[in-house]
Amino acid sequence: PVTHNAPLPPCKRRGPGRVRSVGDGRLEVIEGCRLPVLRKNQENEDEWPLAEILSVKEVASRKLYYVHYIDFNKRLDEWVTPDRLDLKKLQLPKKEAKTPTKNGLPGSRPSSPERDVVRAGREGESQMSNGTSRRLIPSQPGRKRKANCVGTDEDSQDSSDGIPSAPRMTGSLVSDRSHDDIITRMKNIDCIELGRHRLKPWYFSPYPQELTALPILYLCEFCLKYLKSLKCLQRHLTKCNLRHPPGNEIYRKGTISFFEIDGRKNKTYSQNLCLLAKCFLDHKTLYYDTDPFLFYVMTEYDSKGFHIVGYFSKEKESTEDYNVACILTLPPYQRRGYGKLLIEFSYELSKVEGKTGTPEKPLSDLGLLSYRSYWSQTILEILMDLKSDNGERPQITINEISEITSVKKEDVISTLQYLNLINYYKGQYILTLSEDIVEGHERAMHKRHLRIDPKCLHFTPKDWSKRGKW
Amino acid sequence: MSKLSFRARALDASKPLPVFRCEDLPDLNEYASINRAVPQMPTGMEKEEESEHHLQRAISAQQVYGEKRDNMVIPVPEAESNISYYDSLYPGEFRMPKQLIHIQPFSLDTEQPDYDLDSDDEAFVNKLRKKMEITPLQFEEMIDRLEKGSGQQLVTLQEAKLLLKEDDDLIREVFDYWTRKRKACKSASLIPVVKQEKRDGSSTNDPYVAFRRRTEKMQTRKNRKNDEASYEKMLKLRRDLSRAVTILEMIKRREKSKRELLHLTLEIVEKRYSMADFGGEVMAEVLAQRALIKPTYTMPLIPLSSNQFRHQDHLELKDFKPKPEKTEVVRTKRKYEKKPKVLQPSSSVSQQSGHSSLPAFNAKDLNQYDFPSSDEEPFSQMLSGSSEAEEDSDPDGPFAFRRKAGCQYYAPGQGSNWPWCDPGDPRYRYSLTTLTVPHRCVGLARRRVGRGGRFLLDRAHSDLDNVFYGLDPEMHSLPAQSPNGKLASTSESNTSDRPAPPDLGHILLNIKSCRWRHFRPRTLPRDSDSSGLYRGLTRVSMANPRTQTGGSTSQSRTGPGPAPAAALTAEQYQQHQEQLALMQKQQLEQIQQQQAGNAPGLVSKTLDSASAQFAASALVTTEELLAIKAKEEIVLGIGVNGVLPGSGVYKGLHLASAAPAALVNTSPPAAVAATTTANTAAPAFHQPSAANSSGMTAQTPSGHGAAAQVLMGNSVRLGMSSAGGTVNSITTLNARHIPRTLTAVPPSALKLAAAATANCQVPKVTAASSLDMVVR
Repeated sequence: PVTHNAPLPPCKRRGPGRVRSVGDGRLEVIEGCRLPVLRKNQENEDEWPLAEILSVKEVASRKLYYVHYIDFNKRLDEWVTPDRLDLKKLQLPKKEAKTPTKNGLPGSRPSSPERDVVRAGREGESQMSNGTSRRLIPSQPGRKRKANCVGTDEDSQDSSDGIPSAPRMTGSLVSDRSHDDIITRMKNIDCIELGRHRLKPWYFSPYPQELTALPILYLCEFCLKYLKSLKCLQRHLTKCNLRHPPGNEIYRKGTISFFEIDGRKNKTYSQNLCLLAKCFLDHKTLYYDTDPFLFYVMTEYDSKGFHIVGYFSKEKESTEDYNVACILTLPPYQRRGYGKLLIEFSYELSKVEGKTGTPEKPLSDLGLLSYRSYWSQTILEILMDLKSDNGERPQITINEISEITSVKKEDVISTLQYLNLINYYKGQYILTLSEDIVEGHERAMHKRHLRIDPKCLHFTPKDWSKRGKW
Repeated sequence: MSKLSFRARALDASKPLPVFRCEDLPDLNEYASINRAVPQMPTGMEKEEESEHHLQRAISAQQVYGEKRDNMVIPVPEAESNISYYDSLYPGEFRMPKQLIHIQPFSLDTEQPDYDLDSDDEAFVNKLRKKMEITPLQFEEMIDRLEKGSGQQLVTLQEAKLLLKEDDDLIREVFDYWTRKRKACKSASLIPVVKQEKRDGSSTNDPYVAFRRRTEKMQTRKNRKNDEASYEKMLKLRRDLSRAVTILEMIKRREKSKRELLHLTLEIVEKRYSMADFGGEVMAEVLAQRALIKPTYTMPLIPLSSNQFRHQDHLELKDFKPKPEKTEVVRTKRKYEKKPKVLQPSSSVSQQSGHSSLPAFNAKDLNQYDFPSSDEEPFSQMLSGSSEAEEDSDPDGPFAFRRKAGCQYYAPGQGSNWPWCDPGDPRYRYSLTTLTVPHRCVGLARRRVGRGGRFLLDRAHSDLDNVFYGLDPEMHSLPAQSPNGKLASTSESNTSDRPAPPDLGHILLNIKSCRWRHFRPRTLPRDSDSSGLYRGLTRVSMANPRTQTGGSTSQSRTGPGPAPAAALTAEQYQQHQEQLALMQKQQLEQIQQQQAGNAPGLVSKTLDSASAQFAASALVTTEELLAIKAKEEIVLGIGVNGVLPGSGVYKGLHLASAAPAALVNTSPPAAVAATTTANTAAPAFHQPSAANSSGMTAQTPSGHGAAAQVLMGNSVRLGMSSAGGTVNSITTLNARHIPRTLTAVPPSALKLAAAATANCQVPKVTAASSLDMVVR
């Protein structure tokens, strides 16, 4: 049922461009060009996937190209040397290229009708060159509305514009890429040193701009403060006596602990955590403050302290049944079951709250895989354990599964579909467990030794709606 | 059923689904085609990313193999975990606490500097260390302070010295280093911080701006009009709310007085019980008595004890008040009904002891309200002619104006053109008065012409009466002081521009030596004839040549500049007379205010001002005077601060409530005359003081501004300074007066009253000294 080879978005289908030659016969590679770029795949084999040049810079009189591999995730984007470019297959950018540009973003929303008109004029010009008529459309009704609302309350001018300048206030992820520009499309931090680890960021993160030029950004392992040099980090560590995230430990089993941090009460840590997380979460937005979120930081203890492994954030009050806003396992800990542990923990919290929940959308590729895996195992666990009472077929409703697991109904259904368990048989829907599924599940569960023990959870949900504003 | 193209039923989440093993259902495949009917759920991913190569590969690998293969996972940038210096970087061990870690709120707020020393700093600090003492932490703290002390502009060295605790040499070194480093640094701060949003909203799309405040942007900036409108709305809301508070306060007061009424009624019953007045004879008698005394007014059914107070009151009113004023009593009453609210305890006590035969009662309480309670509907309704009456819990009480059938009523001020009805008339101001027979000071009084050309002396009660009565008319002012004029404490001599008297002792001496002023015109050009004339005038009333001399001396000193000496002309004489009239008028106002301010226990008496003998024989019998005196001597016993000059009190009283009137007072006669005529018909209480004052000031010729200014300043001063006594009649009176003028705005009155009482805390300054202070 899953579409394997979805057609490429139209904007990414390009015919071979004309090859333009510069004076000396060499090809000029500029932003927007597409060409195959050499990269090693996981088997360490050479590949020449098609890539788009997003940026060009010169370091020590040597040009570097920031490339995005088409149909690869942005996290693999990188600066490459010219020798990795296959200039023979260079495609020049088309005029209507949808490459994000610096002016691709609408400015701040017109704040007065007068300015609206001015904007419309200015916008019109840039639209011509830009090729998109997106801005032109709203500006006309804007003008009309101005005529209509002469003498009426100015407040009515709000909303309905259709072009919000700021992202919505709830949630932590942005799905529309209207705010994506060339700056945020490119990684800005080269390397982050955190405790024992050196991490290569995957995405842009709004660390102070002066720190982005550094080869390594140093983070305090416990308070996550960002420092420009190892010396500064050393100095900082003489003053920072934290050896665990600055919150209340609400779960501990073995070396695994969870700390709860209030985004309003501990802003500094929350912001530092968000900045770090943004390096690995494409859709995360740091547009607004952290006040309405709680942060659950998972740590692993050793003699040095409680080391951050991953975290998830959660809105104190979610209007959309989200029980997770952002969720991240730090790269050094990935693919070791911690992600599933985080997810499991988030559902344990929901169980305590007596609610079903779902992660905020959009999911990332890794998020989707992790959640699907968790949902599959959780649901299969239940289905396999179903006992038939009086010799009849064991049966269960989707709602029951949802209640037991705190997984939202829609996620249960999508998992059942994904696992191909739902079948229509003799006038009714049934769930069927194939041998493959059963075997696969048993193998997976055998490997899954990291589990959340609900008995170790010391968590009392708070009714945030009764506490004023967060 | 096998060939199916129809849609299957929707999946029902609440319907039990039987769980089968595939091996149990060999024929399942026959039905497989229908499965497609179950709508696909979205993955929750971005469409574009959903199709990414590595994800699709991973998904298909999972479906094929049922589990992830290592080479099929989504590739991510590498991470290393082999930092060799980690152990040295994070030295020591941290033992896991047995208990779950619980963070104490605010325990995280350590006082550590946010700035962290870098290698350059370290080199600098090491170099500096050879010269002076500095630790890295100290350096960090200094830089931290400098950084946080700087906004757009860097901290200057001067500011730095204030900011830092270290000694100057060190500060200079570090400051210089910091300035250099800061200038070389491209970013806004040496402490890297995440970019903040700008106030103007221009940073909406700056990708480096993060953690914006979630508050809605103020829309008001958009439109000034909107801004204004909402501001006005807020003002209105505030006004309304404060009004509501006022109403509640009023209700509280009303309920209080209701309770008082209840207590009083109870008391009456008890008294009657103890008197064995079971048949109600005593009650009836008292009621009848009261009816006799005050036939004009309908008396409410109020407790006997409070009746007695009223009785006294009305008796006096009836006896001493000239007829024309009687009509005004109703109105003036209102003012003084309110007095007890703000009166200081001592004052009420003094009143009480003076007039109350029932010390168990608080005279203040008794007189404060007339108990308009909801139980007394008809009565309270009668009284609540205005909203004010209602709000004030009916301050007029039995004296409230009630229309009689068949009577035509004219607006006050139109019908009565008695000059003393005009509050602005200085002729009818109250001043300290001494009688020849009996030879004593009668306190504050004013003179006016009564029926048949008789001179009446209206007396006013003041809280300083006992002081006045104690003044010995035989004690003469020291001749040496007289020309020097330390006195100037009277309303008449208020234009004096002498230097400030040295101290309180002098003032006291002045008072002791009869340097209290008497009813006397002033602000005249230096003119022996005129003063002679006035001497003649005053002599009659004062019967004390010394005092009189003092008065004339003060006159001679009046005028801010050198007063032109001129011969007395008929015109001048006329002017003098008019000024006198003006004075009297003012005094009238004062008495009205005084009445308003005084509790019913206070007596307003009428005495002949032209001639004590005349007055005594014609209107007031000696016995009566003696009786009054006797009564007042009771008051004498109470310790009242005698330091204050009485006239000062009065002046303050008068001027504070209607400053411009006093102003006019000193203006040249022409202006005075104009004012007088303009104001004669208007009783004080019908003119809001504001209107009053503006009108009067307008009439003051600018040419005499200097004198007027002096006076005005004077009055202001006096209003304040005379507040020194334990009993502050001025403030209370003021307080009483203002509510009237601000008709139906009792809250402000309350506040003003409070402010006025606060004034009492002002250190004692005599009128004389204050006078000097305002001289320009």
